[in-house]
Amino acid sequence: MRVAVVGLGAVGTRAARQLASTDSVTEVVLRDIRSPRVEEVVASLGAKARAERGPYASAVEADVVVVATPAGQQVEMVRTLVGRGTAVVSTSDSVEDVAALLDLGPEADARGVPLVVGAAFSPGLTCVLARFAADQLDTVDEIHVSRLGTGGPACARQHHGSLGGMAIDWRDGGWQRRPAGSGRELSWFPDPIGAADCYRAALPDALLLVPAFQGVGRVTARLAATRRDRLTAPLPMLRRPHPEAGLGAVRVEVRGRAEDGIRVEILGAMDRPGVAGGAVAALAAVELAEGRARRPGAGGLAELVEAKPFLAELGRRGVKVARFG
Amino acid sequence: MTLIRRALVAVGLAGGIAAVLRLRGTGGTPPQRGGWRELSPDELR
Repeated sequence: MRVAVVGLGAVGTRAARQLASTDSVTEVVLRDIRSPRVEEVVASLGAKARAERGPYASAVEADVVVVATPAGQQVEMVRTLVGRGTAVVSTSDSVEDVAALLDLGPEADARGVPLVVGAAFSPGLTCVLARFAADQLDTVDEIHVSRLGTGGPACARQHHGSLGGMAIDWRDGGWQRRPAGSGRELSWFPDPIGAADCYRAALPDALLLVPAFQGVGRVTARLAATRRDRLTAPLPMLRRPHPEAGLGAVRVEVRGRAEDGIRVEILGAMDRPGVAGGAVAALAAVELAEGRARRPGAGGLAELVEAKPFLAELGRRGVKVARFG
Repeated sequence: MTLIRRALVAVGLAGGIAAVLRLRGTGGTPPQRGGWRELSPDELR
């Protein structure tokens, strides 16, 4: 199969590397607006990799396309690809991108192609963890997602911007918009990260989780941040972001009912967000290319893949999941 | 003068109560089991 990766930042490069090491992938087509970057990645990936020049907006020929360009630059390209009947995996974690991509659902459904939205560390891995936890329960009442850390510079800019926007939570059958940076909560992430203060932020997790869990009462997403992060959120970034940040973590808490009564399932993962996000995006692309999407149309990974085999394969690729309790 | 004396008494009493609560509030045994553990391959089968 032929898989394309558009956008060779921290996530896109890792996704390309994962795809190149997948037996069923015969060719990995790479595209980025920075030609030297494409050459560099092609050289490092070996015989399966092939460079393709062109702007982000022009569509690329492949069985599945992983769109890993910065937030705000994905929707037009995905629209073109879906219009041509190509399966797409998008890594964007921007609320606006995710909402616009979910709006492409009817067209993707009509053309019979799956469109995975938000397939990276968070959302992405968090959606699979929520599905895995929900599968242990009879009914799901609440889902609470927390995230710590950033991948590459585009992710750091998104983190900065999301603390200055409006958070979207789902509560009792309706959307609730609250200022980002409010609602402090202490979350315990897998070791060695430990505890961190998390706040409301403009995160798209609820947009992806609510349609996946019909009847869920509450869905919230929080982002770990320091006082300086929150203080400077309304300002432009005061300094250039790091090429890649260090360890990050996600934590997903699902509350619901099982045979033995009310139960709380807490799952988490700890890794470099760019590395784990790339592995999730690549694995999602492989699932689509091998025809294992649960249905056509747009949705998050909680809706479109089977959680257990996905997490098992992710574990073999080095992204380990932990359970609290 | 009376006001200062009353304020000092109030502060002293509050400090005393806080100290008692602080001391009595600590202790107990920390959790002996639980915590994060990696999902086993069996759980993912």
